[in-house]
Amino acid sequence: MVSTQAQLGRWLRRSGTLIGFIVVIVYFTINIPNTFLTLPNWLNISQQISMLAVVAFTMTIVMVMGDFDLSVGSMASLAGIVAALLFRDSQPVLLGVVAALVVGLIGGLINGVLVSYIGITPFVATLGTLTVFSGVAFLLSGGETIFGRDIPADFSTFARGGIPVGMVNERPLLFPNLTIMALIVFVIVWVVLEQTAFGRRLYAIGGNVEAARLGGVRVRLLRLIAFMLTGMGAALAGLMYASRVASANPTQGAGLMLDAIAAVFLGMTLSEEGEPHVAGTLLGILILGVLDNGLTQMKVDSYVREVLIGAIIIGAVTSSSLNRRGR
Amino acid sequence: MASPLLSISNASKTYGSSRALIEARLEILPGQVHALMGENGAGKSTLIKILAGVVTPDSADIVRAGQPVSIHNPQDAFNLGLRFIHQELNIVPQLSAAENIFVSLPYPRRAGFLVNWAKLHADAEQVLAQLGIHHIDPRQQAARLSPGDQMLIKIASAFWGAERAAASVYVMDEPTAALTGDETERLFKVIRELQNKGCGVLYVTHRMREVFEICDMVTVMRDGRVVETRPIASTTPSDLIRLMTGRDLEQAYPPRTLPVEQAVTLDVRDLSTRQISGIHFQLHAGEILGVAGLTGAGRSELLAALIGAERRLTHDVLLDGAPLPPLDPTRAWERGFAYVPEERRTQGLMLSRSIQDNITLPHLQRISRGGVFLNRASEKRISTEMGKSVQLKSTGAEQITRQLSGGNQQKVLFARALVQTPRVLLLDEPTRGVDVGAKYDIYTLIRQISGRGAAVIVASSDLGELLGLCDRVLVMRKRRQSALVDATGMTAQELLTLCYDEAG
Repeated sequence: MVSTQAQLGRWLRRSGTLIGFIVVIVYFTINIPNTFLTLPNWLNISQQISMLAVVAFTMTIVMVMGDFDLSVGSMASLAGIVAALLFRDSQPVLLGVVAALVVGLIGGLINGVLVSYIGITPFVATLGTLTVFSGVAFLLSGGETIFGRDIPADFSTFARGGIPVGMVNERPLLFPNLTIMALIVFVIVWVVLEQTAFGRRLYAIGGNVEAARLGGVRVRLLRLIAFMLTGMGAALAGLMYASRVASANPTQGAGLMLDAIAAVFLGMTLSEEGEPHVAGTLLGILILGVLDNGLTQMKVDSYVREVLIGAIIIGAVTSSSLNRRGR
Repeated sequence: MASPLLSISNASKTYGSSRALIEARLEILPGQVHALMGENGAGKSTLIKILAGVVTPDSADIVRAGQPVSIHNPQDAFNLGLRFIHQELNIVPQLSAAENIFVSLPYPRRAGFLVNWAKLHADAEQVLAQLGIHHIDPRQQAARLSPGDQMLIKIASAFWGAERAAASVYVMDEPTAALTGDETERLFKVIRELQNKGCGVLYVTHRMREVFEICDMVTVMRDGRVVETRPIASTTPSDLIRLMTGRDLEQAYPPRTLPVEQAVTLDVRDLSTRQISGIHFQLHAGEILGVAGLTGAGRSELLAALIGAERRLTHDVLLDGAPLPPLDPTRAWERGFAYVPEERRTQGLMLSRSIQDNITLPHLQRISRGGVFLNRASEKRISTEMGKSVQLKSTGAEQITRQLSGGNQQKVLFARALVQTPRVLLLDEPTRGVDVGAKYDIYTLIRQISGRGAAVIVASSDLGELLGLCDRVLVMRKRRQSALVDATGMTAQELLTLCYDEAG
């Protein structure tokens, strides 16, 4: 029997990141007393991170298999462009949205075929498609930003809307639609990864791909599907972005990929065996969002913010792997 | 009486509640090859890790060449002239043999910066010659060498590095596991050279034949203690087995209790892949068919073909009388085939996942709700039940398989194969790296499964195992089926001859 002391010690090591997060919250609460720990601020944070969250949650699906998808940022831009072009052509909002999602699926299909059936390593394959998708986005848009009256009001008000949850300064306080979207995606990914045979098989591929194959898992097919889901998630994030800023340009999704991977890695520090898990990714997203929000409010220079956030990510992953090695 | 090169006494180590090593003692004299035997978990690897500086003992008195020493890390062990040769060779495959031998040194230079290849190769040849090795070309890339030659390069590297230290002690852990008969003989020649030079060898093995061929002394460990140390000349294999297990040699293989049935479960009329050809046999329900052959003859490839892991070129197979289309592993499991692959760590288990996840993997379709949603309660129940039926020792179905011993990891793979009594059970080296006690458990299990009507195929490099367990043996030679013989009354000698010659 493992002693309670040993169990506590192990729990503490695993939860280092979570504890760090709480410390950060306490720090900001002390330094920004009036605005940090308020409902409006947190709803704001949730909206800011919602698009990144959708990408990171679906990215978790391929990372569970031990793969990467570097093309998500470009796909988000491409999806936004596709929808915007259809809108400019006076097509209905629904068509634009569906078309963008289908583009995401097709992009994911291409990634999946390259990785699964042709056998290129995911890193290299998606590095290639990253450039291709970005190029296509530029081609289609002519390098321009599509905005203004070309974007239907129905589409852009989605991001501004939400469910009323109270009043502040005589204006209704809304639970943002974007946050709701992100939460829905979270629940779907959680169910798929944790509660279905499909998800279990993905974890098996991540654990040992040859053993999974000999154990009856259809590795090729599942890898393909996983990449398609990630592609669709990226497309959804692209739509959310376009709605938020009521415009679409070919570089819109540029920063998403690295932040999404960072969030998944932060989440991995919470698991005993260092596996990705969608709840861990959620924590990773929250950490990134809170840090960004708090540092901005404390008027920390944006470049300093980037350095700090990068350092924290390195710190979290390093301390977690050191702990693991010490066993 | 010469004084020992190395002696360790009063060595103890406890992990939590488990006493891995209890007051162990061992002595190696100059020119002595000392066997270390015992079941997995007996304490052999803990003792060796203490000598290697990888594990800190709770207590240990180590004396090297008359001086008390302490070993805190691998560098200390190295400086004391202790050299460790493992099964998993850590040579650098891209470099040449000569470069591997002198891997810890800078290259010899000419004119200050040009590498003096001639000198490097000449030095390498010299070191090899000192060990009586003349057949390895030092310029050959290490990856192209056979496992046996790679092993010899490793020893040459260790030997050279010890020139200036007092006569060294080599600790060899299952060195022949991946070697052919010829390579093993060459290894023994080199060990005898080491003996002549006054070095000592600690030889850890499960293989009885080697202990009696090359070793002078044997130490048997059981449950963390040294049970006995004896000269080889005054002991026998049955003595050693009794010391290791507390059981007798006669009980090594459980006897067949039920007759083989008449019904033909698997009728292979013609099977070939890019790897093997000429396969044809009929397998009856309740029968155990062995697959014998030298390394590389195609044993594992045959089983891989049957589970559908390799693309088939010809496939004329009937299952229970009905024609069977070529299957992939997914459909093979669904149709009642079950497979335990050769390498449990790289081909069989997902080490980072729980026992439960590993056991249920091929059966998720059936266990899950609607084939889609996981039914964890069911999985836990099934895993626990299967775990009991294979006598798996673990802290529970949720335990991560990485933490289990080799024998228990093997049992997890068996549990997986038995979730539904299979029609055809394919076992590749089912008892490799498993201790004597767990081996017996596995043999009993195989008997039980065949007793329930399953047809079993066992591929093994252990001829004794094949003859003790199987009804018939299929012999593979140069990737073709060469013979199909009755196992009753056959000797290991006869079977080995078949592996080398054409039958008939």
